[in-house]
Amino acid sequence: MEFKVRAYRFNPETDEKPYYKEYAIEDYPGMTVLNALIKVKSELDGTLSFRRSCRSAICGSCAMKINGISKLACKTQVGPEIEKFGMINVEPLANMPVIRDLIVDQESFFDKIKEIKPYLLGQREDDAHNSFHPLKDGEKISQPVYYKSEFQNLTGNNDTPNCILCECCYSECGGVVGNPKYLGPAALAKLYRYSEDPRDNDKNGSRLVNGSKPDGMWDCVHCQSCEEFCPKGISPVKSIVKLHERTIKNSITFSAGSKHVVSIAKSIGETGRLDEIKVAFDSGGISGLINDLPMAFGAGLKGKIPPLRLKLIKDMEDIRLAYKELDLEEK
Amino acid sequence: MITYAYYPGCVAQESGKELDNATKFIAKKLGINLIPMPEASCCGGGVIDGFDKNLKLFINGRTLALAEKEGLDIMTICNTCTLTLSEVNEELINNPESMEKTNEYLAKIGLKYSGKVKVKHILYALRDDIGFDKLKEKAVKSLKGINIAPFYGCHILRPSTAVKFDDVENPRGFEELIKSLGGEPVSYARRTKCCGFQTILVNETTSTSLAGNAIYEAQEKNADVMVTPCPLCHLSMDTYQTVAAKSINKKLSLPILHLPQLIGIALGGDYAEMGFSRHNVSLRGIMAKVRQNEI
Repeated sequence: MEFKVRAYRFNPETDEKPYYKEYAIEDYPGMTVLNALIKVKSELDGTLSFRRSCRSAICGSCAMKINGISKLACKTQVGPEIEKFGMINVEPLANMPVIRDLIVDQESFFDKIKEIKPYLLGQREDDAHNSFHPLKDGEKISQPVYYKSEFQNLTGNNDTPNCILCECCYSECGGVVGNPKYLGPAALAKLYRYSEDPRDNDKNGSRLVNGSKPDGMWDCVHCQSCEEFCPKGISPVKSIVKLHERTIKNSITFSAGSKHVVSIAKSIGETGRLDEIKVAFDSGGISGLINDLPMAFGAGLKGKIPPLRLKLIKDMEDIRLAYKELDLEEK
Repeated sequence: MITYAYYPGCVAQESGKELDNATKFIAKKLGINLIPMPEASCCGGGVIDGFDKNLKLFINGRTLALAEKEGLDIMTICNTCTLTLSEVNEELINNPESMEKTNEYLAKIGLKYSGKVKVKHILYALRDDIGFDKLKEKAVKSLKGINIAPFYGCHILRPSTAVKFDDVENPRGFEELIKSLGGEPVSYARRTKCCGFQTILVNETTSTSLAGNAIYEAQEKNADVMVTPCPLCHLSMDTYQTVAAKSINKKLSLPILHLPQLIGIALGGDYAEMGFSRHNVSLRGIMAKVRQNEI
């Protein structure tokens, strides 16, 4: 069956603006989008540019937008896409500048990965071990080495080490759309992975403190796109939420985001409900309230002001017991 | 008559009361029996697991158990409540350890949960249990000639491991509903993107620029009105619309309806019954169009 590939084209050296070019090709059973693009490049248009390497969904090179969603071209079959969308529309990943056609500049993404220090922190006490040296006969590596399953059991961190840095999550992330400086799902999932590693020697909690700064973990918009569209089945958003929990349990609560979550938990513990006014005040403080005053005033004129004092839910003692059972009363 | 345990969520009972009122209005017209849940607590606003993951299980496990005790499924009108209750339901059904731990707490308050409750957002409860045909049958006004931009938001679509109502890559439920009422669904890319509400009190510019981009795109596609299935999206899109316009430095003026209000006007609800005076962006233009569309 013949089908249409509609490809985003842009060469900044020759094109004033991006455009789309269509190619008609024949499919075959099991054909992937990457197969289709290779066919276009080798038989119809050698100038179409895209990254690719392993063809096995392990290198992450061929990530691109396929019919509007960030996917690995090598892992996406043509058949179901045609069935759903009638064609194959390919575009470069979002949230990164385009170098040419389907190739994006990955620098900002990798800068953010570097920013979270994706390696074990800490210095060994013994100076002799600080420089690399070949192991002598019978000498063992003194730092513990964990098998993957042991690591998973120790940390509950069962998916983030599988990340292939393909940038699908980063491309789909609502937080990065709204704030290009936001660290993004892949870097934050890595931050969580290292913060949970028993070999990491982060004595002063710097990972959680740095991750709580503006543009960090609290800028996640919880859109769930990173989990939904990760081609490796990883859930960065769940790692980010675990980072939130770990940060609050370690009393690192200087950020507006942590104050927001604590305030919601407190409100439910007191009334069973979410107290919109109190949560707004606790999260943004006086400056936040002043900033929102014109909007709040406008809403107030329309009668859209929540009650100042909330009625407790029926059987409120049930909720209090939940907090007591979980030892959360003082938090 | 179909009966649900009705879980409106906090915002629809506080700043977004017009949503609760419109839902009750259409339920009455369609013969849906909504049983209130005065004991139900807040779901945790989509962020409570960032405080304590077991607290999320306990308080939402309790809500599910309250519905199960009555032998009812839960109907929600908020995306985030839908996702939170659905996630907890999935966790309890699929993880015996979580179910046991939650039931130990529930036993102390005289409840038990076995996993029988289904959590249904009103959009999909109407599609699956009532049928959009019935809406068409009961409508007294047509939405003909009105370009309606459906804004799905995140939490009735993603993650599809927890909320399984529609095709996450190309959902159609909202468009089918609009068509059944005679309206013209507007197709635009950001219909399934995030409104940014979860960070509105944390990083307002990030948040409102997301809402602004979606409104702007719908406006550019000639939408007369945008409709949201979630009161949190509605706050971002309507209450914060002027802030959103500043964030993206564009002119925005698009009326935003709650989903039950859209159905409500087709079922004959008037300006006051739908609580339109509580909206930031005026709906008079839309109502004038609908008034001419007597069926």
